[in-house]
Amino acid sequence: MKTDKTILVVEDQEDNRQILRDLLGSAGLRMIEAHDGEEALTVAQSQRPDLILMDIQLPLVDGYEATRNIKRDPELKDIPIIAVTSYALSGDEQKAREAGCDAYMAKPYSPRALLARIEQFLDQRL
Amino acid sequence: MVNGVDASRDTYETSRVYVVAFALAGFLLTLALGYAISWSIIKPVREIDERLNRIAAGDFSQKVVVANRDELGALAQHVNLACEELKELYQRLEDASRHKSQFLANMSHELRTPLNAILGFGELMLDGVYGDIPDRMRTPLERMQSNGKHLLGLINDILDLSKIEAGQLSLSLGDYSVDELVRGVYGAVESLAAEKKLAISTRIPPGLPPARGDERRLAQALLNLVGNAIKFTDKGEIAIEVAANEENYTFSVRDTGPGIAKADQAKIFEEFRQGDGSITKTKMGSGLGLAIAKRIVEMHGGRIWVDSNPGAGATFSFTAPARIE
Repeated sequence: MKTDKTILVVEDQEDNRQILRDLLGSAGLRMIEAHDGEEALTVAQSQRPDLILMDIQLPLVDGYEATRNIKRDPELKDIPIIAVTSYALSGDEQKAREAGCDAYMAKPYSPRALLARIEQFLDQRL
Repeated sequence: MVNGVDASRDTYETSRVYVVAFALAGFLLTLALGYAISWSIIKPVREIDERLNRIAAGDFSQKVVVANRDELGALAQHVNLACEELKELYQRLEDASRHKSQFLANMSHELRTPLNAILGFGELMLDGVYGDIPDRMRTPLERMQSNGKHLLGLINDILDLSKIEAGQLSLSLGDYSVDELVRGVYGAVESLAAEKKLAISTRIPPGLPPARGDERRLAQALLNLVGNAIKFTDKGEIAIEVAANEENYTFSVRDTGPGIAKADQAKIFEEFRQGDGSITKTKMGSGLGLAIAKRIVEMHGGRIWVDSNPGAGATFSFTAPARIE
């Protein structure tokens, strides 16, 4: 299927990374990882993923800031970023969009729904 | 004889001048004294009054200075002391409220993170990502998932209510379509109703202009009402209806459930209160759904109520202003 597609998962919780590893693996997608907002930028620059799943509550540099940094880079700015954040507080979605995120999902998300969203973005870019 | 008359006339004239002069001086002295006394009383009273007004408005920063060494001076002193006391209490309250908010924000994250992992792995297992699951295992796994989701709902409710109480939940206003709001709620509960073989219908006047309010929160209020209706109705139907006039929308949810005794109708909107009796004991729920709906509706400036007769179903309704600017 889409084995050539690479998803960068920025997430500090190992359990959540494991869920995504299993989920994306089952859909034939390659997953690369970053554990904080700083690493997100360096990995994005070196590996050029097709899509980024960005957790918002991250150590060092939070997801909003990391998103702004990535979107500021002309070579990376077209990579879609889906923000993933804990329970939607009013205003979170707007903050994510202002930071440059292309979509937004509130935790806890259904892996099935998340995968559908990811594939929707990947299909658009074909 | 004539001299005597003249002399007494002079004396009279002189005394008259004295009397008039004294009267005038007395009058002026009274005026001056009155002015001095009123100035020394009214000015401090005015100052104390102004200070009290500022304290009432939440400004504890200044002191009132009254130089009088009398009751007014003492009063000013006491006002200052009370102000200090109030200032300290006010700060302690603010601290406590901030700690509570911080605690809630942390709890929100801490409770959801593990639950997220539990629900995530569960769903992957049910989806067969780890291989086929034996038939015998499917039902227990599904029970784990549904209970996990229920737990999540409870945590969300408690946090929502706490946030509303702490004044942390502000409405995010925007234009929305009443039609889409109702359809969204319908979509969310359709399968729940189908599981219980309940008919569910919606009726919305056609061609409603866009409304303005916090769509997500109003949908949450409506969802809580519809969720309750489904939970407490075992047979029959649920009808979601919208009525509109120029200023307000009225959302109603009618069910064919057991109804609510008159005595319970007011208290079911309080937190952690459900109608008494055997029916509610068997239903899962936090008892917060209606309390949250009530707060959301009131934040919009609307009101919420129930019409019901035991045995004849219940209709929950709320109004929301068509446009909040």
